[in-house]
Amino acid sequence: MSGPAYTPTDEELAHLQKLSSEFEPEVTGPLVGERQSSSAITTEYANADPVYRVKTAALPSKYSHYRTCRGDGHCGWRAIAFTYFEALLRLGDRNRFLEEETRLRSMGNLLNSIGFQEHLYEDFADECFDLLRKTESLVSAGNDERAAAELLASFNDVGVSMAIITYFKLLTSAWIQTHPNDFAPFLDLGQDIRQYCSTQIEPSVCEIDHVGMSALAEVLVKQAGFALEVLYLDRSAGEEINTYRFDPVSNDGLPLHNPPTLRLLYRPGHYDILYKMEDVQQPAIPQAPLHVALADYADEFVPMPTSRGMSDVMSLIPGMYPTGLGQNWPSVSYDYNPSPIPQPQMAAVPTYTSVPVPTTSQEYVNTAHHNVPLESPVGMSLNPPMTIERGGPFRPSMYELEPGFQSNHSQSLPFQTSIFRNSHYNTAHFLNPDFQPEEWSPDSEYVTGSRSRHKSASQ
Amino acid sequence: MSAGSKKRILKEYGECMNDTPSGMKINFDEQNMTEWEVLMDGPEQSVYAGGHFKLKITFPIEYPFKPPVVSFKTKIYHPNVSNDEKGSMCLGMLRPEAWKPPNKVVSVLHLIQTLLIEPNSDDSIEPSIATEYKDNRKEFEKTAKDWVKRYAK
Repeated sequence: MSGPAYTPTDEELAHLQKLSSEFEPEVTGPLVGERQSSSAITTEYANADPVYRVKTAALPSKYSHYRTCRGDGHCGWRAIAFTYFEALLRLGDRNRFLEEETRLRSMGNLLNSIGFQEHLYEDFADECFDLLRKTESLVSAGNDERAAAELLASFNDVGVSMAIITYFKLLTSAWIQTHPNDFAPFLDLGQDIRQYCSTQIEPSVCEIDHVGMSALAEVLVKQAGFALEVLYLDRSAGEEINTYRFDPVSNDGLPLHNPPTLRLLYRPGHYDILYKMEDVQQPAIPQAPLHVALADYADEFVPMPTSRGMSDVMSLIPGMYPTGLGQNWPSVSYDYNPSPIPQPQMAAVPTYTSVPVPTTSQEYVNTAHHNVPLESPVGMSLNPPMTIERGGPFRPSMYELEPGFQSNHSQSLPFQTSIFRNSHYNTAHFLNPDFQPEEWSPDSEYVTGSRSRHKSASQ
Repeated sequence: MSAGSKKRILKEYGECMNDTPSGMKINFDEQNMTEWEVLMDGPEQSVYAGGHFKLKITFPIEYPFKPPVVSFKTKIYHPNVSNDEKGSMCLGMLRPEAWKPPNKVVSVLHLIQTLLIEPNSDDSIEPSIATEYKDNRKEFEKTAKDWVKRYAK
């Protein structure tokens, strides 16, 4: 029962080739999704292999929220474009919108210089300027929420979304071509810059690669004074997701302090958007180091100056710290905003009710927990009952420590950063109202040592 | 079809009117501007000389973010035109993965003309015609001319 093996004819092969090259997987979901809790990512990987499980488990403690982008081959471009606008909204400064429009317009020369014709790119550029202006007018009218809604709606309109992406792609291409020395070494051997741009940047269906992203970061993100941070979630070794940052520099070449940051999560072949709690809440308020609250309020509650804003208020709330993976103190960096991590299994969020909370922030708290059955708010007392169970979703706060815990233990808290150590927030600093010279104690020596090792290992 | 696409198509039409490639005529219907009918004479220096070809250029809803679709309504013996009722031509800048939003329709028209003069047998849609074009040019020209007489007069 044999015969010659079936060999498809050229026509059939060509047909199959055509089918396969025309194949487009069904892609669903909004072009840019709503912001949601990043614990969803952890849940998604709960059954994945251990590398992913470990890496994603640590994610929500640093990045509280995320937003999906549709995986249609434009997600990297769209994610950066969207977060660029969002960073402007977060700054909430109408002058920045105007500055950006002017800056982008001034790059028309760049586009012209590499042979793009104005009447062909102006439609794409205009969509971008339109959106800048629309959101600017809403922001200057104080209507931040509508501005955010407008931004999301615009990016979910294929025409607008694609036009803006196309405009940014052209800028990227122009940037690469006008800075060949910066990019040529990263291209495949023998690949010509012009050819690279024309096949890897300009076509409407081509996902962003690292060269493209570096160039877009240069032309769009860094020049706007923003930073871009990409987390690479892959199977590489280590317990944390690898992070790559593009940092802006000021005119004198020094790094900008605490720039608004666009954050992306990269999983092989796909980009989504990430947020830290500080991005979600408010424009960047300089954050007091985490341990200040712990040390200062050990034996006496002193109201924080209200002018210091929401983030300090949040840090006063016992139990509002994210769970720190079983350590006594969280292995978080100091730019971390202590704040609630919405987690489905959470029973109650102790809410501190007696501090006046700005309304916007209050709304935030509510929305973050809208699916969580709230018990009646637990008023903050200085000696709360020691009934809170260990091992819950929150890392233990000082109020959950043994009854013998005394404030004088606080001086043995580890001060890992030199900035904090040398600041007046440190009780060992002579300007601290609760000044208490450091004393050496053999016990704390051991504790501090082990903890800082742990910390450095986890960072 | 979004306002942006319409605006772009009108712009492209304006440019094509100012710079129509020789031997081409575009029938544009404002009621249905996403489908252009192009009448084109076979270029003098090609085997298709003397033929009159009717083409259709269709603009997808996502235009200009997806390429226009070019199809020959008149049958033509050509390695880059599918030998079926669609008569589609899809190569070079017209490929979905190579299409760039700033590409101009007038360049598409020029591409079509160039391809009639010099078929691209390395990027063919009809491999057997491409092989014949490469290996047996005489036979190819004979058939092509025969088809012009039969279908494109």
